[in-house]
Amino acid sequence: MKYELVAGFETHVELATNTKIFCSCTTQFGGEPNTHCCPICIGLPGTLPKLNKRVVEFAIRAGLATNCEIAEISKMDRKNYCYPDLPKAYQISQYDKPLCEHGYIELSNGRKIRILRIHIEEDAGKLVHSRGSTMVDYNRGGVPLIEIVSEPDIRSAEEAREYVEKLQPIMRYIGVSDCKMQEGSMRCDVNISVRPAGSEKLGTRTEIKNMNSITFITKAMEYEFGRQVDLIESGEQVVQETLRYDDATNTTSSMRGKEDANDYRYFRDPDLVTISVPRSKVEEIAASLPELPAQKLARYTEELGLPEKDAQLLIKYRKVAEYFERAMEGTKNPKTAANFIIGQIFRTVENEAEKEAFDIRVSAESLNELIRLIDSGKIRMNIAKSTLDKMLETGQKPSELLSDSDMAGLSAEALKELCQQAVAANPKAAADYRSGKEKAIKALVGFVMKNSRGQADAALAEQTLSAMIMEN
Amino acid sequence: MVDKEEIMKIAILSKLFVAEDEIEQLTEDMAKIISFADTINNASEEGTEFDNINNLSNVLREDEVVPSYEREKILANAKDSDEGCFLVKNIMR
Repeated sequence: MKYELVAGFETHVELATNTKIFCSCTTQFGGEPNTHCCPICIGLPGTLPKLNKRVVEFAIRAGLATNCEIAEISKMDRKNYCYPDLPKAYQISQYDKPLCEHGYIELSNGRKIRILRIHIEEDAGKLVHSRGSTMVDYNRGGVPLIEIVSEPDIRSAEEAREYVEKLQPIMRYIGVSDCKMQEGSMRCDVNISVRPAGSEKLGTRTEIKNMNSITFITKAMEYEFGRQVDLIESGEQVVQETLRYDDATNTTSSMRGKEDANDYRYFRDPDLVTISVPRSKVEEIAASLPELPAQKLARYTEELGLPEKDAQLLIKYRKVAEYFERAMEGTKNPKTAANFIIGQIFRTVENEAEKEAFDIRVSAESLNELIRLIDSGKIRMNIAKSTLDKMLETGQKPSELLSDSDMAGLSAEALKELCQQAVAANPKAAADYRSGKEKAIKALVGFVMKNSRGQADAALAEQTLSAMIMEN
Repeated sequence: MVDKEEIMKIAILSKLFVAEDEIEQLTEDMAKIISFADTINNASEEGTEFDNINNLSNVLREDEVVPSYEREKILANAKDSDEGCFLVKNIMR
């Protein structure tokens, strides 16, 4: 029998605010244990949490960028569970009135992965298990998160990869998170079930918790799909449970026993008042959103005529896209700037983090200057390429690197003179061409190219030579 | 109706130890508490907005950092601490 994978995502994204969600402690990553803490974020009795304005704004930005509706009235709830990473024994989250609902992310195959909701909540502290006891650091406790919950619309590990790879740049473009999976500022829980292909009914699902790499996510999903199919094929049942993925063995294993069946006893947090979002606020935030990756992709391919593959590479990081846009501004063909960036410039960028920062020695304005020199016929492509290499090495501008003779290009007179020299130096080739051997002209063009040090335009040289020979 | 199993479940969730001979009394007490809550359940909801009961909304803070507490103060009430961390019983099984 053929089986189909059904998966939904819960994606936690740490918001790039300065302070925590309910107190004014810093959200800075790292720091000595328990030095970013106050009575509110360590949950002392009698303290009063106060919601960070920017958390609400960032969550609305995230909602709008993923096509969600923004709730006019929203509230905070307590999610009760007992674990030392939560000092209050509850997490302040949102239950039945999340800030954002009913959005979607569209995949390249045209399928829409629906987003059920996006809510705001506080992160938990960090636990380190050592020497028979557990050490707790609450620096991360109270750092604001949004949780993006998708519907079970994902049908393959490949779709899962694309979903995460689409979410990441969106959150970065709108400035709400750096989405660094290795630092934990973006983490995914995946719900997986299988069912016979063509069936509408959902199978029993398992949940793989806390994955912080796209590679692990796809591997874990493939493993879990195989495990569930094997269980069903051998007549056994899939047990609904929470799993952890072990990348060393590429397997999943159970995290919690059945006795801890979740009962979070959600109820409204009486310390936090209603969040009300007037329509005017939503409109104001919508108007402040930048052009999003999907819109850029459409514009680059449709209006600028870039191949989709190239456009994808340029839009992945906002800074790269902005660099490209500045470099191509006012030039004849956007492909020239795109090719320089994807080819020569990307070669100097070591990894994804450097691409994201995109702090390179050649400014977009310098690249623009170089392309304009090509456009105006002052330099030829081969000289432009070697000049760009020098620019990347030294950080100098084209005007500082190119000599007057480089930039003079080849005047019509100079070309004519070189063509005359070519004919004079190769009388046989000229005679052959005159008598109908078309290929004979190539030797003459070669002479012109060589003696102009690549500055002549080969097509123009051929035209000039042909006219010159035929006139005589 | 509240039964013995329900009481035990709540006790476990609340991390409370309940002795066998206390269960019956607790079950009765709990039933009384719940029936008291029924009084509220039976009240008319007409015209009452429970989502915003004190007519307060958007009590928000600006996103400005205030220095955190000294770690000694944060750890002052901890039962045990080590290397600047709260120390709790090992929770890994």
